[in-house]
Amino acid sequence: MTEIIVVTSGKGGVGKTTTSASLSTGLARKGKKVAVIDFDIGLRNLDLIMGCERRVVYDFVNVIQGDCTLKQALIKDKRLETLYILAASQTRDKDALTLEGVRKVLDELIAEGFDYILCDSPAGIEKGAHLAMYYADRAVVVVNPEVSSVRDSDRILGLLASKTEHAEKGDGRVKEHLLLTRYSPRRVAAGEMLSVADVQEILGLDVIGVIPESADVLSASNAGTPVILNEGTDVSNAYSDAVERLLGAELPLRFVDAPKKGFFARVFGG
Amino acid sequence: MSTTAEAAQKAALEIRYAQVGLLQMKLRTINPGTILDELTGKLATAPQFFKQTAICLDLRELEAEPGVAEMREVVEAVRRGGMRVIGLTEGEFSTALAQSMGLPVIAGFRPQGAPRAAAAAPPAPVEAPAPAPAQAPAPTPQSLPALIHTQPVRSGQRLYARDRDLIITATVGAGAEVMADGCVHIYGSLRGRAMAGVRGDTGARVFVQEFRAELIAVAGVFKIFEQLPKDLAGHPVQALLAGEELRLVRLDV
Repeated sequence: MTEIIVVTSGKGGVGKTTTSASLSTGLARKGKKVAVIDFDIGLRNLDLIMGCERRVVYDFVNVIQGDCTLKQALIKDKRLETLYILAASQTRDKDALTLEGVRKVLDELIAEGFDYILCDSPAGIEKGAHLAMYYADRAVVVVNPEVSSVRDSDRILGLLASKTEHAEKGDGRVKEHLLLTRYSPRRVAAGEMLSVADVQEILGLDVIGVIPESADVLSASNAGTPVILNEGTDVSNAYSDAVERLLGAELPLRFVDAPKKGFFARVFGG
Repeated sequence: MSTTAEAAQKAALEIRYAQVGLLQMKLRTINPGTILDELTGKLATAPQFFKQTAICLDLRELEAEPGVAEMREVVEAVRRGGMRVIGLTEGEFSTALAQSMGLPVIAGFRPQGAPRAAAAAPPAPVEAPAPAPAQAPAPTPQSLPALIHTQPVRSGQRLYARDRDLIITATVGAGAEVMADGCVHIYGSLRGRAMAGVRGDTGARVFVQEFRAELIAVAGVFKIFEQLPKDLAGHPVQALLAGEELRLVRLDV
């Protein structure tokens, strides 16, 4: 049984691609067969974050248009056996994607026995985002703890409940999860940022993960390594927890409390 | 299982109570020609709406009791006008007439244009207690059951309960809009807009469990909240019209 998961947000720059890369890597590390598809036609990034940009020969649009087979376009991850990347086309525009074309690719992946297909959505609520979410069984809505991101996520959640195949056919609904990124417990404590509880209350959903704000994310992106593989960092641990929760585990949230200042920090200011 | 056994298990008929909107026609004359003329004129404005419609005759405004033969002519005139008389409204003349004409007496009409019970502060006494089984409500829109919505209403979504109340058991997000011809009840927080009585019912109200609204309106009178009033924010609140003014009242004090 293949599960199609869309990673979406509405707002740009909140960490959709970082999240897609880390969740797909995390699932593959758990032995699952995973394909991750970049739906951001014209602005492809996923290949960079995954560190396979030099190995992109064919892309998603090529497969849809029949220029190549799906097998030729799927890029096998160099670190994990069961992880495959389908890059976006950098030269085409969004009109190159169609619902039928996307369906065809998904069906082929399902026939290949993939456990999870992650769809990395572009920002916005236009065609690209619509196509990325249309066939989803589950959605990970990436949200930053600030009001505009929360508002955009609310909008996306409304679309997930109305503009997806599940919603249109009326056979159940897309299971929605919240993932908070760039979370800074210190700034929450200072009242500069919305808290996990605020966001959960406004959106009426539980969070599947809280990823702390960290410089590790940027350096991992620049190195072409999904940040979940930077073992020992808080971000890596937080994404690993999110993967476990996606797979059904119940874990307490970590990295949501401001670190207590030690004695010296309190005395000398830290 | 044989068909007879099945038939034995299922009753041949089932009597259920159902409410049906029913038109009534107030007669001020029993001249069949006048009735037919006026009827054809009225029907011409909305022929589809009135075609073959069941109607109940209200004789209470007639000055003298009509005879059975005269009433048969009236019924025939209405039939030729395109409607079907199915009964007489309960009143002074109707009981005996109905019996001799083979028509039922229908009771329980709310007077035309009367405000809904909720609009007036003391509940208006029910005009006809009407224990009659043939009780039928007037064709006022409020007789529809409320629209119940259990999912969050998200930013950008709109929800409209036509001719009825709207009940939402989840949050209404900022930038979402919920509307009803009747009252709006929100068992959750309202961060978007809520409008009650959108087709002019001044007795409609908005009830909110957690007030954080952008806008609230009743029968077109609205308030925009650029800044949430501190005494209302987060509290259960109702909004109602007091004359021309929209009043917001906390429900927890």
